[in-house]
Amino acid sequence: MSPAQPNFSGAARYVLDDELARIVNISMALEMPLLLKGEPGTGKTMLAHAIAEALKMPLIVLNVKSSMKLVDALYQYDTLTRLNDSRFGDSSRDVSNIEDYIRMGKIGQAFVADQRTVLLIDEIDKADTDFQDDMLDVLDQMEFDIIEIDKTVRARHRPVIVITSNAKKDLSDPFLGRCNFHHIAFPDPKMMRKIIGVHFPDLDRQLIDVAIEAFYRLREIDGVEKKPATRELINWIRALNADPDFNPKDMAKGELPYLGVLFKKSGDSARVANVVSRRRLF
Amino acid sequence: MFIDFFYKLKDQGVPVSPTAFLTLHRALKTGLVSSLDDFYTAARTILVKSERYFDLFDQVFAHHFEGAELPDAEGFEVDEIARLMLEQWLRDPKTVADALGMDEKELSRLTPDELIEYFKQRLAEQKGRHDGGNRWIGTGGTSPVGHSGYHPGGMRVGGVSRGKSAVKVALERRYKDYSRSGPLTEAMIGEALKRLRHLVPTGPKDQVDVDATIYQTMKNAGEIEIVFSRSLKDRLKVILMIDNGGWSMDPYIPVVQTLFDYARAQFKEVKTFFFHNTVYDVVWKDPARYREPHGVAEFSRYDPETRLIMVGDASMAPYELMATDGSIYINERSGKPSIAQLKTLAETFPRSCWLNPVSERMWGYTQTIGAIARIFPMFELSLDGLEKAVTHLMAKN
Repeated sequence: MSPAQPNFSGAARYVLDDELARIVNISMALEMPLLLKGEPGTGKTMLAHAIAEALKMPLIVLNVKSSMKLVDALYQYDTLTRLNDSRFGDSSRDVSNIEDYIRMGKIGQAFVADQRTVLLIDEIDKADTDFQDDMLDVLDQMEFDIIEIDKTVRARHRPVIVITSNAKKDLSDPFLGRCNFHHIAFPDPKMMRKIIGVHFPDLDRQLIDVAIEAFYRLREIDGVEKKPATRELINWIRALNADPDFNPKDMAKGELPYLGVLFKKSGDSARVANVVSRRRLF
Repeated sequence: MFIDFFYKLKDQGVPVSPTAFLTLHRALKTGLVSSLDDFYTAARTILVKSERYFDLFDQVFAHHFEGAELPDAEGFEVDEIARLMLEQWLRDPKTVADALGMDEKELSRLTPDELIEYFKQRLAEQKGRHDGGNRWIGTGGTSPVGHSGYHPGGMRVGGVSRGKSAVKVALERRYKDYSRSGPLTEAMIGEALKRLRHLVPTGPKDQVDVDATIYQTMKNAGEIEIVFSRSLKDRLKVILMIDNGGWSMDPYIPVVQTLFDYARAQFKEVKTFFFHNTVYDVVWKDPARYREPHGVAEFSRYDPETRLIMVGDASMAPYELMATDGSIYINERSGKPSIAQLKTLAETFPRSCWLNPVSERMWGYTQTIGAIARIFPMFELSLDGLEKAVTHLMAKN
């Protein structure tokens, strides 16, 4: 282990608790991917951005799609351009050299980059289990083969790998075995205040307090399909702040504008509006 | 180092692997772990792979390093039984009072807390288990109180039924939400289900068909003609109906959970419904079988190509299946016996099967299994049976 191990301790727009900081540092020291689970909107993706920003590494994001094959994430052989070039022959590429038509995918880019990168593999659970297992093999070995030209691409610098999962599906045991795991719990009101403070440094304290209090009460309404998360709260506060007619005192009295920002499913928002008006939630 | 701790985790049911344990030691060597707090975080992030086990990990950690008490499974059981008895008491005080040999009025003077204490005392008075006896509360006895008993008309106090025919399950609305808590085991089930796929080209023509393009280009004497085709997608529709009611399915919950997990992972379009013992007028979309009923008649509007997979032990009192008012739920009284409803389903979806977690050699002992197997091709819910079921579902005609 190199003694000059960079240490991650948070970034400008990300509030980090001690525990998570320790986990990130241990994962980097062990050179193991860090698997993050948690409710949508708890900052799983933001963490990778924060690590990249804090350690001044470029961030490469691989957004996993359900139809994705592993090879798409590694490299792409551009047959069409080659066909085109062979017909017209007016490009600088050498048609007989297949390597000119290989383009790196996101994992490939992280491998061939000149400096150490942060590789974020977002929403891994969307892909099927084969994809996950094969990908872990590649990340374990830190190399892959380009079949078309029989060449092995080896990682020049081992990237810092962050994997997120929304827990739509369970991940396989071999996959989990190779990752470190952390579950980001939903922040408590105190933490939330800090997070909002980071995003809106000069916002009226009264507005923040009222909004956060209302937000946690709204989250408690049951029967809601998609509960609002940090992201929604930030947008909501932004909306409230932008409205010149809005006065925090009205909210304390029970007026809740822009509920559509928090509840995005029509059923949810109808339900919440109903509960708020009927039961006088506040 | 910490080998005791490792084994304690294992004993308490946290799935830990030796590789992860070695990784933990590697982490200790990096010098990043310098306090107990650090060790806690490092051990948890490396050893525990699911938030489901965080709580258990905390308990074992506290026990090992602080000497806290480990969770006491037996005490929990008594609490649980007492709680269930209280529920029953609230619903039907007379039966409970009679069963305990107490006057109903006397019991009704007690507060709920006192009642629970009273039940616990009764349970503790047994001095150990007495399965098969005929006094007090226990399992497998003929006393009216207790579970797994053979006392028809008696009340059941939770547990797993072996008699299968206790009339009207006493404790209603205790359900298992298979979708949430399924453990990830037996990846083999996933393998078996994988063959249940039906790939057809759909969507926009956006994939370059390289072979066809080269062929067309050659035919055009070198003038490029790019051929696009549709990508292959799995369009198989699957309806899964699961028996999640009553105690009789309890022993099979883990295996059904596994099946359910993989079904969700495998198929684009899988609809799940729940029923209790057998299907009457409706099946339910929610596991509690309470909020979202779905009428059996409505299935006629579905694509008949949909594969229907029924999962259940098919074991019940014969009248529940045959009688016109067989439903154990009072409000389901359409006049059609359950067996007719099952036939309707089987006719609506010609590609259907019934997966039974009961092992095949036991099928002959339960009358209703035979009756249902004449309607739905029945397979054992085992790897072998699953393979056969998949072959059956995918067979042409």
